[in-house]
Amino acid sequence: MFGKIANNSADASSKLWKADHSLPGRPIFGAQHPPLSSKSNKSVFALLIYRKQQAFTEYMNNTVDAWAIDDDLESENEENDIDKEEPFISKQAVQEVAKRVIHEHKTRNESEKVTLEASSVRRPVASSSSSTACPGIGIRLGQHPSSKTMVPVRFTNQVRSTITTIPDIDSQKENKFKQIFEQSHVDLNELRKTSWNGIPKQFRAEAWKLLCGYLPAKVDRRDDTLKRKRDEYWSYVSQYYHTRSESVHQDTFRQIHIDIPRMNPLMPIFQQLVVQELFERILFIWAIRHPASGYVQGINDLVTPFFVVFLSEFIDNDVEIENFDIGSLPEEHLRIIEADSYWCTSSLLDGIQDNYTFAQPGIQYKVRTLEELIKRIDDPLYRHLKTQHIEFLQFAFRWMNNLLMRELPVRCTIRLWDTYHAEQDGFSHFHLYICAAFLVRFSKDLLREKDFQGLLLLLQNLPTHSWTSDDISILTAEAYQLKVMFANAPRHLS
Amino acid sequence: MLEKATDRSYGMCVGKSCLLLQFTDKRFQPVHDLTIGVEFGARMITIDGKQIKLQIWDTVNIIEMSFNLCISYYRGAAGALLVYDITQRHTFNHLTSWLEDARQHSNSNMVIMLIGNKCDLFARREVQKEEGEAFAREHGLIFMETSAKTAANVEEAFINTAREIYGKIQEGVFDPTNEVNGIKIGPQHANPRTGERPSSSAEKGGCC
Repeated sequence: MFGKIANNSADASSKLWKADHSLPGRPIFGAQHPPLSSKSNKSVFALLIYRKQQAFTEYMNNTVDAWAIDDDLESENEENDIDKEEPFISKQAVQEVAKRVIHEHKTRNESEKVTLEASSVRRPVASSSSSTACPGIGIRLGQHPSSKTMVPVRFTNQVRSTITTIPDIDSQKENKFKQIFEQSHVDLNELRKTSWNGIPKQFRAEAWKLLCGYLPAKVDRRDDTLKRKRDEYWSYVSQYYHTRSESVHQDTFRQIHIDIPRMNPLMPIFQQLVVQELFERILFIWAIRHPASGYVQGINDLVTPFFVVFLSEFIDNDVEIENFDIGSLPEEHLRIIEADSYWCTSSLLDGIQDNYTFAQPGIQYKVRTLEELIKRIDDPLYRHLKTQHIEFLQFAFRWMNNLLMRELPVRCTIRLWDTYHAEQDGFSHFHLYICAAFLVRFSKDLLREKDFQGLLLLLQNLPTHSWTSDDISILTAEAYQLKVMFANAPRHLS
Repeated sequence: MLEKATDRSYGMCVGKSCLLLQFTDKRFQPVHDLTIGVEFGARMITIDGKQIKLQIWDTVNIIEMSFNLCISYYRGAAGALLVYDITQRHTFNHLTSWLEDARQHSNSNMVIMLIGNKCDLFARREVQKEEGEAFAREHGLIFMETSAKTAANVEEAFINTAREIYGKIQEGVFDPTNEVNGIKIGPQHANPRTGERPSSSAEKGGCC
């Protein structure tokens, strides 16, 4: 078994690097670094682009009958075809910037910890040992049973306001977003760059909708487009939702109907019937319009960040979302939130559809690739896991199926999605590097566990419940380093 | 697997995760988020003065599970708990297909215990105890009704399964030196007085 998997992984990895999605010279956003220009790699790059397009065309031809064409979000934003002039970034420059960002965040993190103690803000303490962790039960770490105080789902980082130097950085960022959004035609490239390191709460919903390709970049087209898309969603509901009891769809609906009340069991907002019905409609409509995969457990989680972010547009900053009484919201607002969540979830799922088709090939491929990555970047950890007979599928299946949402508090998932939205192929490809950086982050803790049981309990309950958005910023910078390293020199470590 | 997919039996909240939580943590959580893939639990128990470490896999609906994942945990399992909900007839109706899958992919000596869970909800009972007993007798399984909520029979279900596995080791049916059987003898020096310390890995599946 072990031998077979190892062989498959090696095979998969060589294919991965050949048909690499993160092409050399692709503009890379973030790390507060503008892409540098270089023409040297142009012919290689053109060839890769051609191959990629060819592969995509083949894929599209094979699957065109499986996906509803009119579900595609209209590419009304010309800027979605970003950067026809794909500039090349020097690896060294990128590495330096990434290191600087990691260092900067780590330093900030340290200073926050000091401030936290001084201001005695209550936060749950991270458990360094897995022995007290609950044994592999699927409770989200944001709701760790041993933490008496539940981590609130807050999207503003209150802690930051206690540090005098940080608000300056934040207000700079806010000004930048203001500038971007003031334009009558939003510069999506600029928005991606600015969003990569996290989006301030007040701009997040609009930024996500733009980056999903849902909201037109041109301001004067927005009202019409939004109205049309929202009406379209509600026409699907009136057209299809009543079919949930018909024999062809009843299994799908029954599963959704069983799963939704079990979501986020410790957050009161998700126990409200109105919210559960909203999720059921979104998932049912999506499932019957995407018969190639239908509804698969885990997809339900992916609606949550959109719902929470779009809901927060209508809620005062000081109200905690997880305790919000949805009944106090006008129905019209709720209908907007539901339609917008549907279209943005749909856009996300379009990019990762092979995660959820039969036998979940996308997930199996990504788990094998993750294994290969770890072998290259952290061989002692890889060997330790193998010696103890840990299979990556045993823990990383969930990482891929639920995009790490079960491993992180919701507020961190939302911050992570800022980067995923800003990054090209963020949810499908960059996520892999995030998973690698995430596993390596716990390398020391894992190496301390000396047997299979200890390792697996830790791997299924990694202590992230006290993580903040700064932890995610470090993670994204580390993942970015990995991406650049492998995109430019796939055999670098072999 | 492809054929099975057409006969989809869905995750039905029969209480697999709740049974495990009750056994390992001695607590009940009424609403439990979906299990994705497999989750893992462990507990030490003592049988005939021997310390035994039970390692338990909590699974999603097996028929929905991707093939590789399915194989990776079936192998090396010495026992399985097959769970249905006494208040939902359809969960009982799917037992046969689950059993076929389990027997096809696992060691033929794997100990299988049939569990009728939620026996505290007797007012909503749809499957009679006698039906569970008859199914178990017919297919050579051990049978118990449990309640993850009240903890009734939860200890017994896991411990009896382990006891059965332990019996098979002593009879020589399982070769404890071959890890494919899901049994691993602990290091001798760990507990020299009790001698061997088998650590048996029991798998817990569900009918849906």
